[in-house]
Amino acid sequence: MSLLELTDVHTYYGESHILQGVDLAVEESEIVALIGRNGVGKTTTLRSILQLTPPREGTVRFKGEDVTGDSTHDVAGRGIGWVPEERRMFGYLTVEENVRVAVPPEADFEAEREYVFDLFPDLERFREKEARNLSGGQQQMLAIARGMVGNNDLLLVDEPSEGLAPLIVEQVVDALREASAETTLVLVEQNFPLAMDLADRFYLLDHGTVVESGATDGVTADDDRIRRYLSA
Amino acid sequence: MIGFGSSLAVFVDAPLLVDAFGRFFQPDTLARLLVEGLGKAAIYFIIAVGLTLVFGLMGVLNFAHGAFAMLGAYIGGVLLVVGISSTTGSGVRILLFIAVAAVIFALLTAFGSALEVGLVRPIYDRTPMYQILLTFGVGLILEETARILTSARGIQPEPTWTAAASTIPAVLDARYSILGANIRGFYLFAIAAGALVAVAVWAFLTRTLYGLYIRAGSEDAEMVEALGIDVRKAFTIVFGLGTGLAAVGGVFLIWDPTYGPSVLLNIDVLLYAFVVVVIGGLGSFKGTLAAAVIVGVTDSLTTWLFNTGIVPFPGLSEVTIFLLLVITLVIRPQGLYGIEEVGGH
Repeated sequence: MSLLELTDVHTYYGESHILQGVDLAVEESEIVALIGRNGVGKTTTLRSILQLTPPREGTVRFKGEDVTGDSTHDVAGRGIGWVPEERRMFGYLTVEENVRVAVPPEADFEAEREYVFDLFPDLERFREKEARNLSGGQQQMLAIARGMVGNNDLLLVDEPSEGLAPLIVEQVVDALREASAETTLVLVEQNFPLAMDLADRFYLLDHGTVVESGATDGVTADDDRIRRYLSA
Repeated sequence: MIGFGSSLAVFVDAPLLVDAFGRFFQPDTLARLLVEGLGKAAIYFIIAVGLTLVFGLMGVLNFAHGAFAMLGAYIGGVLLVVGISSTTGSGVRILLFIAVAAVIFALLTAFGSALEVGLVRPIYDRTPMYQILLTFGVGLILEETARILTSARGIQPEPTWTAAASTIPAVLDARYSILGANIRGFYLFAIAAGALVAVAVWAFLTRTLYGLYIRAGSEDAEMVEALGIDVRKAFTIVFGLGTGLAAVGGVFLIWDPTYGPSVLLNIDVLLYAFVVVVIGGLGSFKGTLAAAVIVGVTDSLTTWLFNTGIVPFPGLSEVTIFLLLVITLVIRPQGLYGIEEVGGH
């Protein structure tokens, strides 16, 4: 049984048919990258998994249970964390409060806080600072930390390197490697070499469907089957 | 009161104007107007804070908010009239008033929660126009129901229900000389209540987990939901609390010398609450507190200036408040403490 399984998922924004039958499976402890050009449905796939934009057809199964049509908080509560595109910090809350929101009420907040502050010492230094006053890299760290608390089994990470300086991207990659030791990752990433470096397997999307998939070992952007889908 | 022709004369009669402003700027007058303004501000805050929390979290402009205050004034009025006789002492009247405010808060919080679940929740996904029409309709239904019921019971629905207003204890109706200013006791009572509510709401928002969810949800409700929190529950709680607080504000209006229970409260209160919320910044607790003080004190100063015969244009007091609103919208459209762009709505 796969940890996450999408079967023939069709998702719409209004009348726009974005996902046109996505099939994919993610096994426990692996890192899976979703790649493809802008607008092919990568972010929508993550939103469909979390039921933020529920599929109209097809099924999303998590830990063997069909979660299609369930409320987002219920799906997230089953153990799915989300690091969204553009981070979506609660800018007027402090760093610590941002972490607090993500820790389930029944969990041990002190322990969870120590866990992420050990992983990201910068966050501990700025724990009383409002998140809007953090740098882009620090915000990304906080977004990842927020996704990691609460014993999530799966972390959905959307464009983690977007808008960050190369040095900061390295730190983010390190953070994601740390995260992958604890949890399974599904990664949406425009930076193809970075995605191939981090991930064990990939799914290549085009026009809302999976057109290629496989192990990332030895795959480069020059590969014919990849290039024709990634070039503008 | 002098007519328009002579009012015009006021503006050209420089010595009279100088005399008027001389009286206006006397320390005792200013101190009295300031304290009365803070008293008004306290009530505006109690009413408006629910409106701003509901908009901040849910993105719903609740046009029934004034009607909730009106309900609080009428139901509270009934309880006070039943519970207070001419022989009831001031202390008992005040204790009864506090008990009535607590009962009204509980009742209307439950009513607001039920309203959110039954009527507002089904239309979250629709455009704001649906929410405006729905809540405006609810406000009108409550207003007309109040008009029908009060008329049927022989109570004049407007301008005010004097029997309820006159339950005010002598100690709050009396004026006291404080630092040379002649201040009505009711305004001191209102200031104390407003401060208590402000501290309670602030503590709820900053010291409880639900308060944290509400502050986070005000920035990005979808993100909160994606973190595993049932935002709809928070919506119900906030709408209920907002309704309860508006009703408590309505209970205070029973003894307010410029209001009293009336069906007119629906629109009057709604307009003032919206002015406070917009000037403060939609969704901002701090902004609502600051704007309530600005609006309350401005209201007090301009009411004195325009109603006491010095510059005899009674309507100008309200015009000044709306002028403040217009100036805010032009200079700082997001209000004093508003977030420029609210995500997640």
